[in-house]
Amino acid sequence: MLFAVPLGITLAISFGTVDELGNAIYGWNPGNYADVFDPLFGPVLLRSVAYATATVVLCILIGYPIAYYITQFGGRYKYALLGLVVIPFLVNYLIRIYAWVALLSDEGLVNGVLKDVGLTTNGVGFLNTSYTVIGGLVYGYLAFMILPIFAALDRMDSSVIEAGKDLYGTPWQTFRHVTWPSTFQGVLAGSVLVFLPAVGDFVSAQLLGGTNTFMIGNLIQQQFFGAGNWPFGAALTTVMMGFLLIFMVFYLRSAARAATEARA
Amino acid sequence: MTATPAEAGSSTDGTPAILFDGVTKRFGETEAVKDMRIEIRRGEFFSLLGPSGCGKTTTLRMVAGFEQPSDGRIFLEGEPVEAIPPYRRNVNTVFQSYALFEHLNVADNVAFGQQRKKVAKDEIKRNVAEMLELVQLTGREQAKPRELSGGQQQRVALARALINRPAVLLLDEPLGSLDLKLRKQMQVELKEIQREVGITFVYVTHDQEEALSMSDRIAVMHDGHVMQCGVPEDVYERPEEPFVAGFIGISNLVEGTVTDPGTVELASGVSVSAPLPADCRPGDRVRIAVRPEKIAIDQIEPGMVQLEGTVEQRVYLGMTTQITVALGGEARLVALEQNTYRARAEERWEEGHRLTLGWHPEHCLILR
Amino acid sequence: MTAARGQALRLPFSRRGTAGRETRPKEFDRPRFLKWFLVAFLVFTLAPIAIVALFSLNSSKSLQHFDGFSLQWYQDFLNDQQLRESLFASLEIATVTMVVATLLGSTLAYGLVRSRTRFSGATNVLMLIPLVTPEIVAGVSALLLFTQLGMQLSLATIMIAQVTFSISYVTVIVRARLSGLGREVEEAAMDLGATRLQTLRLITLPGLWPAIVAAALLVFALSFDDFVLSFFTTGTSPQPLPVRIYSSIRFGVTPTINAIGTLMMLISVTTIVLAIALPRLVGRREDRTPLLGGEV
Repeated sequence: MLFAVPLGITLAISFGTVDELGNAIYGWNPGNYADVFDPLFGPVLLRSVAYATATVVLCILIGYPIAYYITQFGGRYKYALLGLVVIPFLVNYLIRIYAWVALLSDEGLVNGVLKDVGLTTNGVGFLNTSYTVIGGLVYGYLAFMILPIFAALDRMDSSVIEAGKDLYGTPWQTFRHVTWPSTFQGVLAGSVLVFLPAVGDFVSAQLLGGTNTFMIGNLIQQQFFGAGNWPFGAALTTVMMGFLLIFMVFYLRSAARAATEARA
Repeated sequence: MTATPAEAGSSTDGTPAILFDGVTKRFGETEAVKDMRIEIRRGEFFSLLGPSGCGKTTTLRMVAGFEQPSDGRIFLEGEPVEAIPPYRRNVNTVFQSYALFEHLNVADNVAFGQQRKKVAKDEIKRNVAEMLELVQLTGREQAKPRELSGGQQQRVALARALINRPAVLLLDEPLGSLDLKLRKQMQVELKEIQREVGITFVYVTHDQEEALSMSDRIAVMHDGHVMQCGVPEDVYERPEEPFVAGFIGISNLVEGTVTDPGTVELASGVSVSAPLPADCRPGDRVRIAVRPEKIAIDQIEPGMVQLEGTVEQRVYLGMTTQITVALGGEARLVALEQNTYRARAEERWEEGHRLTLGWHPEHCLILR
Repeated sequence: MTAARGQALRLPFSRRGTAGRETRPKEFDRPRFLKWFLVAFLVFTLAPIAIVALFSLNSSKSLQHFDGFSLQWYQDFLNDQQLRESLFASLEIATVTMVVATLLGSTLAYGLVRSRTRFSGATNVLMLIPLVTPEIVAGVSALLLFTQLGMQLSLATIMIAQVTFSISYVTVIVRARLSGLGREVEEAAMDLGATRLQTLRLITLPGLWPAIVAAALLVFALSFDDFVLSFFTTGTSPQPLPVRIYSSIRFGVTPTINAIGTLMMLISVTTIVLAIALPRLVGRREDRTPLLGGEV
């Protein structure tokens, strides 16, 4: 009845904004898509995926222990600790990246301290490396990994871990055979939540990196604001979106399979 | 397999409180309620009894107005109700989960219906006090639902519904989440309240004991059909369907074939005499149903049908002892004895023990 | 694995008999190692922000040495007309987005939960699309859409884009709360004589409003902080604050940015904290006026 109105509006807008193919029609040129796979730009795509994957792995390596500690040993302060961990991520992403720029730039604090202490004279070029860019990405999206893992760990019955300890000899084995499998879905969810935005990110690469750390996001942004080659930019975006969709489908299938297995 | 409309009862005014005229409800492909034709009389305590998924709650919801029949019509006090939305029907519901308004206190919860009807404030106050007294919650007006126990919440839900003096009160398994003792106590209270207030109660439950003890009449439902509808004694002693026999009490069904008129031969080869309906012919396959309490163990009276069997299992239930006796083939019967002062303690019916079972032919039923 | 299991089976009692800690030293260490890990983590994540905040109060231009307290950068910020305009623009966008997205999102949530139409299933899925779309894709699509329609890029275009992508957040939050409330309570109200509208007003909304408020504040924070979407859909002037900051950073780090950054931080964090805390605080004061006095 009266809910048809917002329903309608949302539908219309969603369809509208996901319609970038509209511009491809405007300048319909399949050649744009061929350009996408041009050897010049291929590496950029690969690099984006590589960076995003590295980010995901790092996020897991850092995020999981954090979530584990908080859920298993946090006790009453569980949620307070979680809040503490998450608060930095409430701050504007841009500002956070900027903070690292400020810290790591040649006039930044880290170099200042190093100079004072006498370790270097001219400063170390922290910026402009892939490590910094990945570091920036991790810093940006880590919370998206911690939260699902926290939820999965929290939901898990800790008596299962106790039972596991009885069965398996070392804590590592308990973890490998009991804890990890039960929380795997959480890790998977977190990975998706980190991977998707990370692939398309351009802020980190732009501010913390240089021309040799270009990601696909930077490329797209360039088309629209520098080169003025909108159709190509649209093509790039569509390709990226398509790639992500495939990825999403795999994830959803895996999640659905896990859900049915859990029910069985 | 529809039940026949109830026989003419003792109500002076012929109009039933609720009449289901061929009511069917479909959800997509499934039929939750199939061609229901029953009458619920004014002032009676009527139960819809059946296992989960039999359609009893759907039926209730159709009376309340939350679902519309796919076919057929429902009449409330003689008037058809399809066009009337739930907030205008003279019917109130006590939900299984109580559905109390958490942000209001007890008094406001109970007063809610009256306020919708724009009753005067002091009259509301009086009515609320009266209702709370009826359900024995006087003094708890300011309490919030979360501060009350399950039983108390349920009574608030009851008061909230009764205060509007509806023509019919619908109760959807209201005692389901209470522990046994409390449930028994509430059953008695509910019955008393119903008698005092005189309103028609339609009570949904899957607990056959509850239905038997509280109801004036019961409709046993299965898979959307009303299998049988009648007073508790009829439904228990004279089930018309195997399902009813099995759902209420222990059915004790034994298969057999009619040989001569009045005789049935069981799978084990033994022949027993049984009161067959007139249209039974030799060769018909029938099922004999006997209630466990009607079976004599080893103390056969003259005129009883007799069968030999072996004890398969013995269960001690405190008040009674039940034994499952194998008759040969697949046939089994459950018999019991009450552990009264007359029970022979030395008889211990061990497994493997052979004994004789008997019953009076008029105590068994023939089902097809 | 079999070996370990064999061991475990062979010695269950002895292991449980003695204090478990002694036979598994590695286990005992784990909390400690993890605890320091957590501490290091917190330092690493909070330090950069703290430093930015600290240096925003620096009396000198340097980013390396702290020379004394001064509010000069904040003054610079507020004196700069462009930056001021940007701040107000951001606030304006955030407020409008908050109101519109909350309204649309709440009604959408209500429609999805309470009515069963043919579109419900599809809408449920479609509604999730904005949540998983990478912002850059969203930005590009919005930009293309607006130019296709011949619209001028301005604050309005930013608002439209942001509202579109915020509705989903509101809907998800409100919908979760609404299903939690359960339809039986609403049915009970209708059963007792309340019309749909009355039920909504008296029963549903009182239970729902914490979620609505939380969602609204969340939208505000997201909109205020938003960069990528605004970047693609903004006009030339005024531009929202994050976009301005971005352009500034590209040209080098200046202390004024510290001040802007700190200010933005304060606004976003406060908003989100409010979003979480407010419903809980106010929710407790649920003493409705008693039967005689109240209207209810």
